[in-house]
Amino acid sequence: MQRFLDPAVLNAISGLDLVAKTVVDGFVAGLHRSPDFGFSQEFAEYRAYTPGDDLRHVDWNVFARTERAYLKRYRGETNSLLTVLLDASNSMKYTSHAVTKMDYARFTAASLFYLAIKSQRDAAGLIVFDDEVRNYIRPSMRQGQLHRLLAGLELAEPHARTDFGKPLHHFQEFLRRRGLVVILSDFYEDPQTIIRTIEPLRFHGNEVVLFHVLDPKEIDPKMNEAVVLVDLETSTHMEVTPDYLNKDYRQKIDAHIQALRDGAKGAGMDYHLLMTNKPLDGVLSEYLTIRQGRD
Amino acid sequence: MGLLAPWFLAGALAVGVPLYLHLLRRHTSTPQQFSSLMFVEPRTQSSIRHRRLRYLALLTLRLLVLLLLVLAFANPYIKRATVSASGERLLVIAVDNSLSMRAGSRLDDAKREALSLLASRNPAQRAQVLAFGSQVQVMTQPVIDPAGLRNAVESIQPGDSRGSFGALAGAMRSIAQTVQTPIELHVFSDMQRTNMPPSFSEMAMPANVSLVLHPASKGAAANWTVESVNAPAQVWDPKKARVEAVVAGFDTAAATRTVSLVVNGKTLATKQANVPANGRASVEFDSLDVPYGFSRCAVKIDSADAMPADDQYMFSVRRSDPQRVLFVHESNDSRSPLYFGAALGSSAQSAFVMETVPGSQVQGTDPTKYAFVVISDSSLSEGAQNVLMRYVRAGGNLLIAAGTTMARLSTVPILGNAISGSHYYSRDGAGFASVSDTDTSYAPVGKADQWGGVKFYYAVAIDPTGAHVIAHLNDQTPLVLEKQIGEGRVVVFASGFDNLTNDLPLHPMFVPFVQETAGDLSGLQQREGMALVDSYMQLRTAKEQAVSVDVTDPEGKHPLSIQQAAKAQSIQLTEAGFYEVRLANGRQDMVGVNADRRESDLTPMADDVMSLWTGKSPNGQSATSGASSADDSAPEKTPYSIAWYVLLALAAVALAESVLASRYLGTQREEP
Repeated sequence: MQRFLDPAVLNAISGLDLVAKTVVDGFVAGLHRSPDFGFSQEFAEYRAYTPGDDLRHVDWNVFARTERAYLKRYRGETNSLLTVLLDASNSMKYTSHAVTKMDYARFTAASLFYLAIKSQRDAAGLIVFDDEVRNYIRPSMRQGQLHRLLAGLELAEPHARTDFGKPLHHFQEFLRRRGLVVILSDFYEDPQTIIRTIEPLRFHGNEVVLFHVLDPKEIDPKMNEAVVLVDLETSTHMEVTPDYLNKDYRQKIDAHIQALRDGAKGAGMDYHLLMTNKPLDGVLSEYLTIRQGRD
Repeated sequence: MGLLAPWFLAGALAVGVPLYLHLLRRHTSTPQQFSSLMFVEPRTQSSIRHRRLRYLALLTLRLLVLLLLVLAFANPYIKRATVSASGERLLVIAVDNSLSMRAGSRLDDAKREALSLLASRNPAQRAQVLAFGSQVQVMTQPVIDPAGLRNAVESIQPGDSRGSFGALAGAMRSIAQTVQTPIELHVFSDMQRTNMPPSFSEMAMPANVSLVLHPASKGAAANWTVESVNAPAQVWDPKKARVEAVVAGFDTAAATRTVSLVVNGKTLATKQANVPANGRASVEFDSLDVPYGFSRCAVKIDSADAMPADDQYMFSVRRSDPQRVLFVHESNDSRSPLYFGAALGSSAQSAFVMETVPGSQVQGTDPTKYAFVVISDSSLSEGAQNVLMRYVRAGGNLLIAAGTTMARLSTVPILGNAISGSHYYSRDGAGFASVSDTDTSYAPVGKADQWGGVKFYYAVAIDPTGAHVIAHLNDQTPLVLEKQIGEGRVVVFASGFDNLTNDLPLHPMFVPFVQETAGDLSGLQQREGMALVDSYMQLRTAKEQAVSVDVTDPEGKHPLSIQQAAKAQSIQLTEAGFYEVRLANGRQDMVGVNADRRESDLTPMADDVMSLWTGKSPNGQSATSGASSADDSAPEKTPYSIAWYVLLALAAVALAESVLASRYLGTQREEP
């Protein structure tokens, strides 16, 4: 099933719902064979019915025997809140192979939504931003939430440039409930600015995870001759030498990643580097690990 | 510096092509999108400068390729002095060692004069020694060593070949091409007129060769010689053998000379020849009584002149018994053996003795004792046919004349081909048949027109299947057929030898036909008993490979190495005398080799011809005004083409251009 998680294979599947289902089902099937991961469908507790509870969760067998209404609760039903912040700036259009960074981020977000809503029964929401907030879908467990989220992902086309500072106060407004905040971005910004912008989310009691989406060629450009590069966000033309790309650029991007990782760790946030040519199972594992830690 | 083909310079206009490609068609590269230039620093200046420099280098190389190509076609040359910086001249000493130099002390005089020239030369001057006859022999390479040069001159031996100034000029042309310095050629020779080639241009020397002649004799010298000999190489009957000789005198007064025929060192006969002044006389010896086997024969004269080397003419003779021929005929047929025997014995050198036997007695004879067998229209018993069939299969040869008697048979005996009938032709008017076509590759039959007067009145129609038809009658009846049976051959004449079925026996054509057919069927081969110096003798045929031969020269030496003896097709006869040869087919042979008698005419070339050759007027002045003489050390400038060097430079530049251009194209592939 691992092959279903290959980004290049997923790119050939039309429809984010099918992509998400393929990824998560494959991932879950893998989990069943793995002793390292637990799954939260086991029984947790019985709780006495109180008015307002959903009658669908009443254990009618117990009611028949005891004539008392109890709700049967599972570990997975310990509800949590997942909010995905998706960077939709122009730089996310970049790719050196079949899958753009934006596609990869969408696959990731869709898979997280599917896993959260279908398997974990969590509320999930979406914020699409570039230099301002372009779309917001409130976290909810309502019927049809998954389709709304997937539709929001489909509509999220790269546009403009990234600016973490400007939509910050919107984040503060939207994320008043504590939960898990996942940020999918290529983070072309000063690491200190990024951390400083996102840090307040952590102060509200959220678990914050930075998924740093990069194309392999951004890490290792490998040029033999001098070339003219065009910035996807600013359209700036710049001619560079292969010596610079092979040495100085590598050092700078590595330093940027390390600074981001250190900054996130220092702020109590998780940081993960996602390469667009790698499978998505790492992302889902990370989500479940954090999810279990919150229970 | 100049150009031999300056009009090719118009091709230089082609330099516009790379100029257009590099300057007018600017290079455009497709920019490459990148997610963010946040970590990229501009290095534009160095990159563009590097690329511009590279483009300029490429442009320069391409322009150079075109210009060098144009220059190579224009064939540039430089004027180069033929005299080296030190003014050195190569001294070449050429000594004539042809047969005529044996006259008197000519060769010794020439060598002495050459040695004195060597002694008087500048010790630092390089010199080379040559000896020339019909070919040029390099005695030394260009060296300074005086002892080596002196030994080379002293080691020149008199030869038997004919001198050739054309060969000397050819050798000098080769030397002049390899030696860039001027050459001073001193020729020590008797300057025989007969040594000149047919065309004077063949003995012209190259431009950088200054020729100095040292005639070894002044004026003509009287000389007697045996100019030619006509003698048989094979003798069967000594009484029938005759020897004719021509005695010649060059610049001689009328005299009577004694001419001797010498066989194996013994004088067999002596005759007097009255030779007119500066003329020739023939002498004939009526017999050549030589013993069996090979004999060394010679015709000698008492010349008492300065050159005894040409006073005898050598030839070899082999004596053997005549070969027997078995002639089978009908007992009532006396005409056929008469005509055939007369034709076979009509030659002065009859090699065959014919024995006749009736067809009924063939079974009791042994045909292997005969050179070949003739069946003249005779019926044969079955036993006789078996005897003859075994004889042919074992390698014997058979001549069958199929006349009226054989026409009654269904097949030709031995041959086995069917007889389909017979053709009668009218004796009246033009009703007779004649030969219409022949296979000229079969020598005994000859050409069809040689049979023009022969009338055929009767011919047997033989099915030619499996046989080679050599001659046809004009109604396409096969007349002469040949067929290989086993190891032997059968030749069939589809008419008779009896003067009844045709008039061939009365026709002059009959004698050569019979004799050559006999020679062909008996395997008798013509041999030559004499040859000229420098001629070639064939040692083997194309079929006789990998069989060793053996040659013994007049001095008793074996001139062929083991490897040459196994492979050589022929050998050049370089000395006068008797060569003994064992050929590849196993036969022994001997040949008397004589010098070319044109060497006997000691008349030197005229002074004006010598002056013309040396490029000087008879009074010693240069023949062409302004031309340099042998002693003139002023440098002569000759054009020297440098097109090859230009081509080499072109190849190097083209290589550099392809290396640089391939790197450029490699970038182009990566950018899209």
